[in-house]
Amino acid sequence: MAAGARLFAGPVTEPVYRVVSFYKPAALPGMPGPYPGQVVRVHSENSIDAQSDKVNQDMVRQMIASGMKTLTGDSRPEDAWARFISPRDVVGIKVNCSGAPRIRSSPEIVAVIAESLIAVGVPAKQIYVYERFDNQLKTVDYAKYLPEGVNIYAAETTRGAILGYDPKTYVETSFFGEDDTRSNMVRLVAETFTKIVNVPNLKEHQASGVTGCLKNISYGNFSNVARSHNTPKTYTRSFIGTLAAVEPVRSRVVLNIMDGLRGVWHAGPFSEMPRFRFYPKQIMFGTDPVAMDHKLIEAIEEKRKAEGAVSIFDRSMSHVGERNSNPNINHYIREPGHVEYASKLGLGVFDNASIKLKAIEL
Amino acid sequence: MLLLLAALPAMFWDGAADTAPALRDAGIQQILVPAARLDSWKSVPGIVAEAADLEGAVKLLTPTVNYRVNEAGATSSPWLVANGWRFIRRPEGRYYYDVTGKQAALAAAEAFCYGANAMIRTDAAGLKPLAGMLAFLRTITGEELPPAADIGYIDDGSAVSGEVMNLLVRDNLLFQLVTSPDRRLKLNVKLGTREYPLEDAGNPGAVAHEVRFNLTDEKRSVRIYGSSVVVARLTASGDHARLHLLNYAGVARKVDGIRVRVLGQYPKHQLSLADGAGVELLDYTLEPGATEFTLPELKTYAVVDLSR
Repeated sequence: MAAGARLFAGPVTEPVYRVVSFYKPAALPGMPGPYPGQVVRVHSENSIDAQSDKVNQDMVRQMIASGMKTLTGDSRPEDAWARFISPRDVVGIKVNCSGAPRIRSSPEIVAVIAESLIAVGVPAKQIYVYERFDNQLKTVDYAKYLPEGVNIYAAETTRGAILGYDPKTYVETSFFGEDDTRSNMVRLVAETFTKIVNVPNLKEHQASGVTGCLKNISYGNFSNVARSHNTPKTYTRSFIGTLAAVEPVRSRVVLNIMDGLRGVWHAGPFSEMPRFRFYPKQIMFGTDPVAMDHKLIEAIEEKRKAEGAVSIFDRSMSHVGERNSNPNINHYIREPGHVEYASKLGLGVFDNASIKLKAIEL
Repeated sequence: MLLLLAALPAMFWDGAADTAPALRDAGIQQILVPAARLDSWKSVPGIVAEAADLEGAVKLLTPTVNYRVNEAGATSSPWLVANGWRFIRRPEGRYYYDVTGKQAALAAAEAFCYGANAMIRTDAAGLKPLAGMLAFLRTITGEELPPAADIGYIDDGSAVSGEVMNLLVRDNLLFQLVTSPDRRLKLNVKLGTREYPLEDAGNPGAVAHEVRFNLTDEKRSVRIYGSSVVVARLTASGDHARLHLLNYAGVARKVDGIRVRVLGQYPKHQLSLADGAGVELLDYTLEPGATEFTLPELKTYAVVDLSR
């Protein structure tokens, strides 16, 4: 437990965080894990049909096998998975449904992950596909795709319900003078899971710039986090990494598989405007969420540039406003610097020169 | 000092005696009626009637929550309509609510929570909720303890001062009225001083914010996490404390859990919950200098007795 200075103030320049956790780090924490600075990107034109939005499950299976083998150097995918997961593990698959139903962790990908876990000996009943909000999770019919027995769980069956969170593991801070200053960890993450596979999407985010590995395992694993946003200012730059570094999240997130079959390049994390969707047709793999999110930033920046939109690093107030149907207008000043900030907390490698990207084409 | 047991709020009913069956069906056994109707009610079996007059009593607002759904953001918390500050300003006052339906139950709980002398006038739809709440309140026994306060507030009696008090109540910043600064309290507040200039009092929310900042969250006797519509009142003496918890949205939506932190270590607890049979406190922990627990649901009103 680390105590901070006086927590309450607001709005603040730099928040003071008080992290309360009684969990000890693993000998080798999951992040950045055994492959710091390494990212594998597998692309296939045949992975999804951009006209029908239909996913090619067989190709997804090949992509995941290829990605895992390339990341680890193993010749068999089951050996690759066995490096991270043992049959005794209770595994959480952290999906992202904030943009559902149009963009979410594809059930075809999640199903292959669950099958891979079962293949290394994890009983289906020890696997949980989970998300914070039940109403979002229910818009995706994961059960239809998953092996029988796999659990599907939401921390909040009604918005704001706290029972799905661990009251003893939290980050306390005040951003804007809000009275509820705690963000608690999902109880299953703290008390039940021994490993977590993180399955974010490839999306721009109105507040944090991008929402990838780090955002999905931070804001996706803690309560009461939207309080960091108050137009046009947000505190996502430091809050995301701070949450991601809290034990046991830091130790238990052993693998990140970023679903980039679909993407959102503006007005994320939602996907209400079709013109901002695109099809990168890729899946990224790694244990280092910082390095992977650096590649996510590049992908979003490249797409935005191609569309004639301003950079996500742009901080001009002339580009802040309500009408974000214009790709040069955003509700907030984005904070893509959260990725570099997380590197300073030891969560991964941000320096591009030190990141090794292996690109696979299928 | 031990005080007398809090009086129950009373139902004021201005209907004719032929409405008695509806009252009996709801479980109402005692009512206050206009003096002109008293004779006719005296002969009604099963209901005890006394004369009362709303004249001279202060009409209260209907306790509720106004959600500001179009105002997203960290600080756009719901607007609570609460009367606690009025009771604190004039504890000897006579009050009445004019409330309909289920709001009658919340009104009764609010008045009881502050030990207020309050009448509740309601409609036919409010009879059962009110009767249910009054029955619950009768089960809350024991010696009434003096209110606990972190802040001494010097009230100048103005409307602005009243609104500051209202926001202190709603923000769970526990205060008591003092006529001069009291060194035994953690903070003293008087509008018109250097710390709280009168020109800033036009924004009572900002004043409450400043009070909280100066007090600091660490010194607050009660913290509520997980809801912005629950108001707490704490009474305490020696080894005992009683925490009242009011959900101002209760009628519309129950609160799915709150985490509560009370300064002081209280190993023992007893929960009394209106409309919540079988509910128990969860994750009860003694922290350094504090007690924490989770109340898994709160429909309208709960009383938590804490002791060493």
